[in-house]
Amino acid sequence: MRILIVDDEPQIRKLLQTGLIGHGYAVETAADGAEALTAVRLYQPDLLVLDIALGSGIDGLEVCQRLRQWSQVPIIMLSVRGDERAKVQALNAGADDYLTKPFSMEELKARIQAVLRRVAREPATSPTATIVTGALKIDLAKHQVTVGGEEVHLTPIEYDVLCLLATHPGQLMTHRTILSKVWGPDYAEMTHYVRIYINQIRKKLGEDPAANIRYILNEPGIGYRFVDVA
Amino acid sequence: MFFKKPLPIRILLLSSAAAGLVLLVTLPLWRIRDALTLANFSLIYLLLTLVVAAWLGTTPSLVAAFVSFFCFNFFLIRPYYTLTVKDPRELIDLFIFLLVALITGQLAAYARRQAEMAHHRASEQNILYELSSAFNRLNDREEIYQTLQMVVEENLPILSCVVLPAVESVPADGRQTTIYLLIGTKEQIYGTFCANFAEPPAEGQRRFLMACVVQAAMALQRIDLAEDVQRSRAIEEADRLKTTLLHAVSHDLRTPITIIKTAASNLLSLREQISVAEKQEMTRVIEQEADALDQLVGNLLEMSRLQAGALKLHEDWADFSEIAGDVAAKAWQSNHATRIRLDFPEQMPLVRCDQGLMLQALSNITNNALRYEPPTSQVEIRGDFDDQAVRLLVVNHGPTIAAEEKAHIMEPFYRGDNGQVGLGLAISEGIVLAHQGRIWVEDTPGGGATFVMALPRSPLTEEPDANSDR
Repeated sequence: MRILIVDDEPQIRKLLQTGLIGHGYAVETAADGAEALTAVRLYQPDLLVLDIALGSGIDGLEVCQRLRQWSQVPIIMLSVRGDERAKVQALNAGADDYLTKPFSMEELKARIQAVLRRVAREPATSPTATIVTGALKIDLAKHQVTVGGEEVHLTPIEYDVLCLLATHPGQLMTHRTILSKVWGPDYAEMTHYVRIYINQIRKKLGEDPAANIRYILNEPGIGYRFVDVA
Repeated sequence: MFFKKPLPIRILLLSSAAAGLVLLVTLPLWRIRDALTLANFSLIYLLLTLVVAAWLGTTPSLVAAFVSFFCFNFFLIRPYYTLTVKDPRELIDLFIFLLVALITGQLAAYARRQAEMAHHRASEQNILYELSSAFNRLNDREEIYQTLQMVVEENLPILSCVVLPAVESVPADGRQTTIYLLIGTKEQIYGTFCANFAEPPAEGQRRFLMACVVQAAMALQRIDLAEDVQRSRAIEEADRLKTTLLHAVSHDLRTPITIIKTAASNLLSLREQISVAEKQEMTRVIEQEADALDQLVGNLLEMSRLQAGALKLHEDWADFSEIAGDVAAKAWQSNHATRIRLDFPEQMPLVRCDQGLMLQALSNITNNALRYEPPTSQVEIRGDFDDQAVRLLVVNHGPTIAAEEKAHIMEPFYRGDNGQVGLGLAISEGIVLAHQGRIWVEDTPGGGATFVMALPRSPLTEEPDANSDR
């Protein structure tokens, strides 16, 4: 797997490169937006780790927008805390996930794996699979959800929301994505729908965050993420 | 308008009335002149003059005295219908009467003038008092000028008045109709008040005008002083913050940097001498301290953003129980034990807020509560709502906060007894206030502190029914 790292800080480029090579990836780097666009054509990476702030010239957001005109290469954006607006813009522009600096190498690895898994699996999502995490078991073929062997009764919409999240474990699903995939594109702005349904689903699944029993993770202001089963 | 200038025509009318009154009284006296003595007549006329003086003023009383003297002599003293007298002793009586009438008349008229003036002064004082209390309520310079103009226009016979920028030389000429007065104090001149009278103003009117202008100047000075005080207070506060910030930076930032530096240089120079376990421990410390540093820098940035008013809210519908769940899960991950108990009602309404910021606010308060929670009990995060507000309560069972400490606990850089920089609670407060909410501390029954955050409830326009899909 080839990964392109785009960051204007040489130290960070170097450290990320070392870390990712250590985890078995082939890594190239680019220092600015223009270089990144050229590198994607020449190097044909399988995934981009792209910093939003790239000093002068075109920024990460614009790189993402331009790339999406001709390439579907997965993109993980890097941003700093408090830059929520930029994160949402990047995700709307077609980025697949984001990571807030500073992060640990483990977190980056998990994100990369989740995104690559989506790409690998997407052409043939098995409709007969069973998803298991902790006490939760979702049988996609039977449309059956059980927690600790007990069947949980979900309404059709609740089931659709849970399924959408659970079939993309570890991957960020924005409110927009959930709304337009479950309710339809006309509902993309009705974020309170998602909140109410997620709350219902969590109650029915018996989540207990105080004891760290959670299936659906919250990304404040952005979306939700199903726990990574891998 | 309370200043009336006595007009000549009015005095003429009053004097004629006085003369008529004397003639009117003379008529019945003339009919019974044989039954009365000279002393009776003079006393009756004296009384009449006194009444006229007190009632109609100086000039009418003079007229009354002279007309009385004439009527007395002409109609009532023998020989009748002449101005001569038979008995020269009566002449003495007559002149003494005239003299006494004139003097008492003047005295009575003087007393009347005094009373009138006192009345004028009283109402002038009254207007000035009202003016000064009106000025006291105003905090805007423009409004003070407007009130001044209004009061002057209402109470003085002027054609127009205007406030001009301070003029150095005031055109001087004795009896003019336009009056210029400087609005100012010893230290500062604010402007010039220009009043245009229909005719040259009387002394009292000038005095009143001047008093009004002085009041305005005092009000302007008061505003200046108040602004000065506020400015210096703000500077003082900024200074205090800067000092505490420097303290915080030098201590709380340097500590993790020192630890990281020491651990890294150990790893570098003692590569061969230290064990794998020690190496791992040092690396772990570096990561841990870097996280602490990141959090502190984040807090400092957030605080400066809050204080500069540069915080932008990205509001959306949020579920407080979800936010509390995130905080509880994070607490579990750092303690690997359930240190928090959640308690939310079934129908907790959604709240419009910036979810990320509210998460931070709750997280700061919860971390603070966890620090003081006894190991045998759990911090509770409770939800609660009514028609107006949705509340988050963080209940701690540790030591109760003293009343005087409660007042300061949310101030930035307040150091509690543990010596940590208190930025967390100040940030929480700033976030809640930015949402038009309230935050306060209560005592937990049985000991401990309960922090309450209340955000205004916002109406949900369209609520999906979670139980009847599509």
